[in-house]
Order: sequence, then C-alpha cells, then structure tokens
Amino acid sequence: MTPVVRVAPARWRETCAAAIADGGRLCGLFADGSGPTGALGAAVAAPDGDRLLLTEPRGGIVDSVVELAPAVGWDEREAHDVHGVRFVGHVPLRPLVDHPSPVDAWAARVAGRDVHQVAVGPIHAGVIESGHFRFHVVGERILHLDVRLFYKRRGIEAAAVGRPAADAARLAGGACGACTVANGVAAALAVEQARGLEPDAELRRARVVLIELERLYNHLNDVGAVCAGVGFAPGASLYAVLKERVHRLCARIAGHRFLFGAVAVGGGTVAVDAATARAARAEVDAIVAEHRAAWRELRFTPSLRERLVGVGVADRDAVERLGGVGPAARAAGVARDARGDSPRLAYGGFRPILVPGGAGDVAARVEQRAREVEQTAGLLAALLDGRLGPGAATPTAVGSGIGLARVEGPRGETVCAVRLAGDRIARLWLRTGSYANWQLLAHAAIGELLPEFPLINKSFELCYACVDR
Amino acid sequence: MYVLLRHLRRIRRTVAPPAPSRRHSLALRHVDAGSCNACEHELAATAGPHYDLERHGLTVVASPRHADVLLVTGAITVAMAGPLLDAYRAMPEPRRVVALGDCANGACPLADAAQLAGPLERIVAVDMWIPGCPPPPERIAAALLDLLAAPPGGAYSAAMSSATDRRGAGRPDGGDG
Ligand code: SF4
Repeated sequence: MTPVVRVAPARWRETCAAAIADGGRLCGLFADGSGPTGALGAAVAAPDGDRLLLTEPRGGIVDSVVELAPAVGWDEREAHDVHGVRFVGHVPLRPLVDHPSPVDAWAARVAGRDVHQVAVGPIHAGVIESGHFRFHVVGERILHLDVRLFYKRRGIEAAAVGRPAADAARLAGGACGACTVANGVAAALAVEQARGLEPDAELRRARVVLIELERLYNHLNDVGAVCAGVGFAPGASLYAVLKERVHRLCARIAGHRFLFGAVAVGGGTVAVDAATARAARAEVDAIVAEHRAAWRELRFTPSLRERLVGVGVADRDAVERLGGVGPAARAAGVARDARGDSPRLAYGGFRPILVPGGAGDVAARVEQRAREVEQTAGLLAALLDGRLGPGAATPTAVGSGIGLARVEGPRGETVCAVRLAGDRIARLWLRTGSYANWQLLAHAAIGELLPEFPLINKSFELCYACVDR
Repeated sequence: MYVLLRHLRRIRRTVAPPAPSRRHSLALRHVDAGSCNACEHELAATAGPHYDLERHGLTVVASPRHADVLLVTGAITVAMAGPLLDAYRAMPEPRRVVALGDCANGACPLADAAQLAGPLERIVAVDMWIPGCPPPPERIAAALLDLLAAPPGGAYSAAMSSATDRRGAGRPDGGDG
C-alpha cells in the first residue's frame, strides 16, 4: 500500500521542504480535479520508501514549491494550464500546455545586442516527433532555449477518467510506443497498490524481462542515433540492425515488436516455455556480443569521438537541481536508478553503473547507454534461464484506492499515481523520464552552437509522446 | 572503422533486401500529427539495412516543397492539424497522402475526443492507408513500393483495404506487428 500523507494547504510548502531536507526527492507534482474541490499531489522518493503528499488547496490557490525543487516547474505549469491551480510565488507562471498562446507569454524574454530568435518546428526535417524549439541566439551561439511541446496531446489522462481500472496499463502504455512497457508496468503497479495486490515472483520476473527488452532496443537505437547525429553512417546502420533484431525477438516472445499488450493489471499476459526462453537468451547474447565489438570500434574512431567530447554538458549540479533522471543523470555521476528501489520487481541487489568521470556530456551519455546494454544483457540472461510467466498479483491488504509506483524506463523513471473510485479510474497521472529531462536538455544546450543542438538532442533522445500524453 | 564496414557487408549478405528498381523515385515528407512514436520507429526502420528503401528511390526529404508524398502518422491532434495543413499546402502537385498506422485513420480509442481533429480524411484527401499498430517495416516498404510502381492517378490495391475492415485492424490488444 502506498503511504499517503494528507497535508493542510497552509503547510504544503513547509511539508515539501521537510521531505527534501530529510533526503527525499520530489519526483513530480500533479493536480487531481479542478476548481475548489481539486486536490494537489506530490510524489516523494525518500530513503525509507516512496510516499504521496496530498493537499486540497482552498479556492485552487497554493504556495509554489518551484524554488525548493525546480524539477517540478513544468508540473506546476501544467497543473495551472489544465486544472487551473494557481501557484503563489511561481513568477512568471508561463503557459506550458496551452496552445495557442502568444510567444511572449510562454518564451523567456532575452534582450541584448544582436540577440534574435530561431524558431524550429513543430514539424522537423526527418522522421521525428513533433514539437517546437525556440532558440535565443547571438550569431550561432545559444543563449537560451524554450521548449514548447504538447502538440501531440491526445488527452490520455482525461480519457482515462471513468474507465475500468483494468485499462490503466493499456492507457499508460499507449502514451508512448518506445516506453510502453515501463509506463504500462508503472500504471499496473500503481493500480495494484491501490487495490492492495502484490505481484508474485513469477510476475515480477516476467515484467523485468519485458522492461529490459524495451531498454535493450531503445539503448541500441540511441547509440545509433548519436552516430547518425554526426553523420557516421557505419555506426548508425550497424545499430539499426541490432535494434531490428531485438524487435524481432520481442515479437517472438510476446507477439509484438514493441511489446504492445504485454502488460496488464493484476497479472501477466506473457508465457514463455523454457526452450523459447533459452533461445531468447542466446539471441540476446549474440546481439550484445556484436554490440561489444562495434562499440569497441566506435570508441576508437577519432572522427566520432571528437564530435562528442565536451559537448552539451549537463553536469551533476544541473541534474540535481533540475531533477534529471535516467542515463542522462547517471552520465553526470548521479546514481539515480529506480531499479535499485523497486521492491515489486525482480531487481534484487541491483546497483546502477556510472561511467567513469561522470562528465555529463554527449560522449558520457552515449557511453552510459553502451555500458547499460551489457548490464541489461546480464539481467536478461539471469531471468531467461527457464520458463517465464505469466504470474499474478494476489491480495495482501485492503486497498486504499490510491496507488503510486516508479519504474525505470529507457530514459529514466516513470512515476504513475492513480486514484480509483470503486472499479473505475478517477485520476491517472503519468510522469515519464522524458518529462523530467526536457528541462535538463534545454540547460545542456546553453552556450553551445545551434548546429550542435541536433546532436545534443539525440544524446538525450527524449520522447515527445511520453510528455504530451 | 574497417571492422564496422566488414561487419556491415556481412550483414548485407544475410538480410538480402529486394533488388532495386531504378525507373522512378518518390520524395517522402513525414508529419507526426500525434503518434505514440512507434510508427516513427518503424518508418525509420525502412531506411535501415534490412529494408533500405533509398535503393528504390524512396527518400525522406526535409521540405514539403520537395515532396511527392505526405506520410502522416498519429491521431491528428487539434494542435497539429494546422501545421499538417501547412505542410500539405506547401507540396507541389501532383501529391499523394498516405495515412500510416491505425491512429491516422481514426482508430485511436485511448485519446480524449476533445483533443483530436482527426481522422486524417476529414482534413485532407487520403490516397493510401497502411494499416497496423504500428505497421511493421516490411508492410510499410511493400506499400510504398506499390505506390512507386503505380501510374499517376492509378489505384494502389495491395495496401489499401476497405473502409470497414481497416478500422481497428491492429490495435495493441490485437497483437499486430
Ligand atoms: S497506430 Fe499504433 S503505433 Fe502508430 S501511432 Fe497509433 S498507437 Fe502508435
């Protein structure tokens, strides 16, 4: 069961400050309902376990916590745009989700000699998701970047309200094709928490296999994307082949190349016999052996290396301040990985790996992923040693109707909170690793040249769909 | 470097993509109008070594002004309807519109209807629809090659399915792809 702390609205800021002072991390904030009856929630990852802070701001007005935790800046802006919550002290509270609104309303004002703006998107030049970037530049130098997303807003959270609780995993999983498992498992775990269900060992293992397969193809994709970002075709092509092999493996194991439909609330949908599991393990080993050989070459290819080192730095300070997660955080030396504290998944004894130096530049982020590919292969090898799944979640307590879960996806942790009304969803909130990291990406672009941005962007490889929902 | 290239040559021998035809070419412009990103992954895969559509004269171009075909993915959100129309209007005639994936065709049961301006056919005339959620790369490749082979104004039967059976043909729970 998820611990819920109810907070008087007047003590909201104080309570959040105390949670942070006790070593907790605010990993997202959300509104539940609009107007005078609406509530506000914050997810806290604390050393003694995760908890949810809830308050009911009177008249929809509450103190902002953005100065305590700049990481939740976007959360407050979204809660304001979508649910009309007003945050005292968040000045200016610029629109985030609202389209259309005039440029001056959502972009920072940057003035000075020769400062001008370069607007890019929402449609980009390649096969890329839609979103808008507004660069404030002098010549080629980026002074500031405003990211304007939510062009792809499908209203999944609004559509979830009133649907059966069993649909939660499918809804959250549908937000993003490349993170469907991580998001789906987070939603499934949150609903199970809300209902007092605990996944059994079988289900924990099966879910980890799916999560790690998803990470495997994403990380391979992202290493290839950085090669493509500097025009290094041999690397990009090779990694495209390795990624394709993982997709084919996913189709063999779970019937879908992106593992759609493989996660459900309350149980597993994937069952694999021992022979198939071992064949899958052999294929993972073969893929990773090819990756290892290719990566060794890439590391010593000067024309590639030269373009990556020292570019797009998001260092430890920036990660801590802006709440960075995932490989981007670990590449800056921050050992933040939700797999290390996932008691409801089979990650016993997990230790995050960190690249030496933790420079937080493009080179470190790509190396971080390359190393994590090996780690993922190790996890898969251990779990694909015999029959797998499906498993079930069994009742262990009386559910409180409120659940919270964190799952480490390819780009960082997905945080999901649900409130159930009987058998139906009253609120489903999804905050993905991409959501957490867009502010960090904008920070990493500062001071760089405009033509470097696509490369920096690819080294984070954040999803837009995950954010827009 | 040589190791990488040798490796790629070996892969090339095993994947055996179809022989290239050099008679025509088509320039493609992709617009994501509210996808989950899996359709993009599969479209990108058609340019990879396994399918290598560029060998057939199918290239993704940066500007709609250089494009013959508009490939649209996603559920057509309210916010993307305008930019999508801008891209369409910027294309020279004759132009073709291909709806890629079930979402673009209006089969998007996970979305809030208030956020959607789609289906695509309500915004622009659709010439071809490639079903699936997401359509696997071989299906995308086959459909685009079909489009390439068709005479201007002709029919492209292979990937087009009828209006009734195409809806929801490959939703996530259908285990498509
Ligand atoms: S059709 Fe399926 S894969 Fe394509 S964008 Fe829609 S949900 Fe994603």
